[in-house]
Amino acid sequence: MTAAAIPARRERPAARAVPWTRLAWVTWRQHRAALAGAAAFLGAIAVYLAITGHEIHQAYDALVAAGCPQADAIQPGSLLPVASAACQSLTQGFLSFYGTTSGSLGTSGINAQTVPFMLLAVPVLLGAFAGAPVLARELELGTFRFAWTQSAGRLRLAAARLIPLAVLLTAAAYGLSALFSWYFTPFLRFGNTGGYPMQVFGNLGTDFAAWTLFSFTLAAFLGVLLRRAVAATAVSLAVTTVLDTVTMMALRQQYATPATITGAGPTGVSDWVLGNWFTNPGGAQVSAGTVDHLFAQSQGGHVGLFPPAVAAWAAQNHYTDWWSYQPAARWWQLQLTEGAWLLVASLLLITATILLIRRRPA
Amino acid sequence: MNVIEADGLGKRYGRKWALRDCTLSVSAGCVTGLVGPNGAGKTTLISLAVGLIRPTAGTVRVAGEPAGSRAARELVAFVAQDAPLYQHLSVRDMLHVGRNLNVRWDHDRAVSRLNDLDIPLKARVGTLSGGQRAQLALTVALARRPELLVLDEPLAALDPLARADFMQSVRDAVAGDGISAVFSTHVVAELGQVAEHLIVLGRGEVLLSGPADYLTATAGGAPLEQVILSRLRESVPGRTREVAA
Repeated sequence: MTAAAIPARRERPAARAVPWTRLAWVTWRQHRAALAGAAAFLGAIAVYLAITGHEIHQAYDALVAAGCPQADAIQPGSLLPVASAACQSLTQGFLSFYGTTSGSLGTSGINAQTVPFMLLAVPVLLGAFAGAPVLARELELGTFRFAWTQSAGRLRLAAARLIPLAVLLTAAAYGLSALFSWYFTPFLRFGNTGGYPMQVFGNLGTDFAAWTLFSFTLAAFLGVLLRRAVAATAVSLAVTTVLDTVTMMALRQQYATPATITGAGPTGVSDWVLGNWFTNPGGAQVSAGTVDHLFAQSQGGHVGLFPPAVAAWAAQNHYTDWWSYQPAARWWQLQLTEGAWLLVASLLLITATILLIRRRPA
Repeated sequence: MNVIEADGLGKRYGRKWALRDCTLSVSAGCVTGLVGPNGAGKTTLISLAVGLIRPTAGTVRVAGEPAGSRAARELVAFVAQDAPLYQHLSVRDMLHVGRNLNVRWDHDRAVSRLNDLDIPLKARVGTLSGGQRAQLALTVALARRPELLVLDEPLAALDPLARADFMQSVRDAVAGDGISAVFSTHVVAELGQVAEHLIVLGRGEVLLSGPADYLTATAGGAPLEQVILSRLRESVPGRTREVAA
């Protein structure tokens, strides 16, 4: 009798692991509808960015081809430089994508400001809706009793779901962010001397993808913790929104010690000004408001606070004008700092999710 | 050889012991019924045996391997209460899920078994009747070619005809493949026709364990049902009479 004739069951070979490729098939089969939904959502945004971006690029290229003055000379809030009638028309055409009629920069515009702002919701929504059901559905429907007891085991099963889905969504988000970068380039070229404005920090570089990854892993973790997909989606939306907002308002500026200069302030349009104060002739710190007040007093009361006049008065009276800011050149340092902590947090969340699956009495 | 061996096994949730100091063995090659009222610890014992939960005290081995280990998962197939399967999948895809989550898988046998049962491969799992779904869950479990088949309350949701068919399938599998099966139930009636070996659990403790023939013989030939009920009554202090048959 040959070895092959002995039933495998009686031989008791060492237990084998189920190959990852087979687990990946199960992940694909179970999540292809969700992935199709995510693809449709991102696809619709991508189509909008592609069509509008094409128009923005055309308008900008026409401006460049006609040799019209670039807006290097334009400071936010100032009027357009004097140019030929043809150039004025082309410039107006391009600036219409800002959504303004006055032609001045710095006012709210749909394509330059509203679109980037609205896009910040994409990582939050995508991660929460895709991440929460990944394991929570098994727990709330009771199918974990089937899934966890197959040969593959719950840990491999959970890892085979979380990791490929996280990678796919993060890559898709990075793709959308790259498309946005192309879409937004004319605005950067037109209005800036270099670097990137901080208003689109969350849309560019690695930040958009990093927030998607974080949002997904948080939602998946909450799904296992709460054992309810809908509740996990809601909590995840709230937590990520709050964290994203706090990061934007208070945390991001502290990734590097701000640079300080005296005088008229940072010159680059893309430098990120964080604070402005004065020191008096004795070297003590006084707020900009106090200096405004002293200037008004010296002028005998009610006069307008025309900034150059205030600055001139301050210099005359030996007040030093201080600025703290993040130079535009630190863009990638800030991007990678935020990307790194989001990546670490995401890895910790994946680990915590798998530990929870392992420890929890299912 | 024993297919389940529990030694001092206990599981506590908070302050309450769901199962306490449980020492038992289930012999291989037969159908064993795990009997007891609701809350007796049947599902806890089964969950420990299939590795869904970990014991607070003691140990349990299944098919000679520590419960919940990879080796044990390969040898033990489990059908949970209400036969949970993926409702949105087709029967065919459900089989593919089973195939891709297991090292051993007999696909042809699963397909021919479903053909015999007239369960269409194209149907969505969610549209099957309770009896068909239980049979599909059993098919997926048997396709894994386990040494031990564990079923938690497999009869609870089935009508009498489906119950008979289902238990016949289990008996056929045990006889045909030479495997062992353990199923839990709170229904004492008709048990003698199904289980060759019995374990009676009450309030988290083993009250009675042994071959069905032996249990009836030692009780002077009393019907199995009566032996079980009287043992359960004894275990409930102050409630000697009221427990319904």
